[in-house]
Amino acid sequence: MTFKLDTLFDSPDKQYLNANDLSILSQYVSSIPERMAVYRTLRDQEIAIMQPIADALQQQAGHPEPLVERSVRSGLMVLRYAAMAMLLDDDGFVEERLQGWLPEMVKAYETQAVDQQLFQLLMQQLAKVFSPAQLNLLKPSLEKAKNLMLNTRETVTLAGLL
Amino acid sequence: MVSVADLLTDGRLPGNYFAQDLYVRGSTELGLLENRRGDRLLAIPDALLQAIYSGLEKETGQASRLVLYNCGRWWGKNFYARFCEELADYYKQPLSSLSMAEFLQSLQQCWKTHGWGQIHLDITYRDRGFLGVEIWHSPFTATAPQGQKPAGDLERGILEIFFSQLTGRELRCAQTSCTAKGDDCNRFVLGLEKRLQPVEALVANGQAHQAIMQTLMQQG
Repeated sequence: MTFKLDTLFDSPDKQYLNANDLSILSQYVSSIPERMAVYRTLRDQEIAIMQPIADALQQQAGHPEPLVERSVRSGLMVLRYAAMAMLLDDDGFVEERLQGWLPEMVKAYETQAVDQQLFQLLMQQLAKVFSPAQLNLLKPSLEKAKNLMLNTRETVTLAGLL
Repeated sequence: MVSVADLLTDGRLPGNYFAQDLYVRGSTELGLLENRRGDRLLAIPDALLQAIYSGLEKETGQASRLVLYNCGRWWGKNFYARFCEELADYYKQPLSSLSMAEFLQSLQQCWKTHGWGQIHLDITYRDRGFLGVEIWHSPFTATAPQGQKPAGDLERGILEIFFSQLTGRELRCAQTSCTAKGDDCNRFVLGLEKRLQPVEALVANGQAHQAIMQTLMQQG
């Protein structure tokens, strides 16, 4: 597991944690109840958050159903990984797990335009559900995921191969 | 209409099965490295690979490339079966219903996670019946004897079998560039034996990948 605090726990062979290290730890610990509250909401309202987005992408933006389905699937995945990253306070988690996967899927299925709108709608939905402070807990990992998905490098597209 | 609830079959969202930090595990107290299904993994030191190359060279000389190629084919056969089994288990659906994009992306990630370098498919020549494969940072040719000839015989074998099984056609694989002779990466071409025939002579002549592909394209 990748966990920002891992580096703290890595070093008992060097020395005891200093005041600064311990204060990082205690900040994290005191933020856990809030993180868990956000996590629970995301978990329990996963479908309620995403269904209106799927509807808007299909009805208002008029994207074809298979593309919307693909994009929503990616959106759900991003949200789940962002939720976990927020719980761990480690936005590197999103990159580590989704890099080499999501960007390639976006390219293979050519969902970039839909994904762009999905992210906008997602941020609007989340702003309805969460307070600004709660949203700030999620934002770093969502941003990471968005960058991964929308700034895809030029590589070979796998769709339609063979 | 897209129903989000329907997208979540039993709540799962299968994704990057071979993600490195998830895939490599182990019962370290027993001295075992394992993958996430509990199959054993091994870390092979560079020096051992070098020893295998030099031992083969010493004992079998010219034949060592053929031995490695056959080892690669053997490895490929098992690798393909296990790879498919793992994916089918993970996605909880028969492999035939998995999309090609997910299948191939899993292959790329799997390659990386095992430390075999980065594998990329080049479909430029697909319409002409050839599939290109690039492998960057290969540990196998990095430790192979450096010289004028491509040395990715292990990889040639594994790719040949893997893509033959995947496409259901008897494909052959030729290596057109190799880090062991100073190229930037290992490039392979897969195709039917008859069409791939000229490649060997071109490679032996020291032709570069691009030139070889051009000749192949011109043969009609």
